Amino acid sequence: MNEILKKRRTLQETMNFMAALSAGIEPILGRGANSMTMSAGRNLGRKFSENANKTDDLLEAIAEVRKVLLANNCLWLFEPFKPVGQETMVTTNDKGQNQVLIVFRDCMIRQALFRFGHPQQGSLCNMMYGFFAGALENIMGKKTTLEIKHAGENACLKLLTVEA
Amino acid sequence: MLEMIINDKACRGCKLCLDVCPTDCFVYNEETNKAIVDKVENCIGCLSCAYICPSGAIVHKNHHVVGNFYRNIYFSKRMEKFL
Ligand code: SF4
Ligand code: SF4
Repeated sequence: MNEILKKRRTLQETMNFMAALSAGIEPILGRGANSMTMSAGRNLGRKFSENANKTDDLLEAIAEVRKVLLANNCLWLFEPFKPVGQETMVTTNDKGQNQVLIVFRDCMIRQALFRFGHPQQGSLCNMMYGFFAGALENIMGKKTTLEIKHAGENACLKLLTVEA
Repeated sequence: MLEMIINDKACRGCKLCLDVCPTDCFVYNEETNKAIVDKVENCIGCLSCAYICPSGAIVHKNHHVVGNFYRNIYFSKRMEKFL
């Protein structure tokens, strides 16, 4: 228990450091900063999900990603979201791609960014996209994108799209 | 169940909440020139409206508040049971 808490605090401290670092490199590297963090997140997602159950079902796959995070002691709470009036949780866009909205609540990236007043939606947020992309590549065998629809103070809304 | 209330007297009709809300929870009443809650079921509890409202007119209840649990040992212990 204490070991986990210690690890988690160390992780948050590392995240704080990375937030400062990414805020510093973004103006220098420009779009390159996003590719770097995306790639780091994807590798982590692939590694963490090596032994995850494979499925074609998007909602099951998301539940699997959550399990992967919990198994690695990462408290990154998220849940699929269905707005009023939308009939199903998973929708299909005009390109035939399946999509689902996801609400992210507790997020160590957001907490790290706010700690020193760094803006959201930068390269560190992109790491989460990478993580999902990497994990879902393993679980579903398909490419995905995670677009930030809204970066809020207490929750964020993202749109997950799976290639047809 | 999440609740959201706009203090009618405080609202100055700036529409900032309508602009910031990602899930279209508000509508604007053209007669009273004030925002009103339309679809509270759509609220994801991001609190952006409450932060941006210049009058502090928007109040949420029963929403999940993110905690700085990675640094706070007390909060970490309480979160442990969800793992
Ligand atoms: S942001 Fe506040 S003051 Fe402006 S319309 Fe919304 S509730 Fe009214
Ligand atoms: S908390 Fe977020 S989702 Fe809810 S009404 Fe305010 S801006 Fe919209």
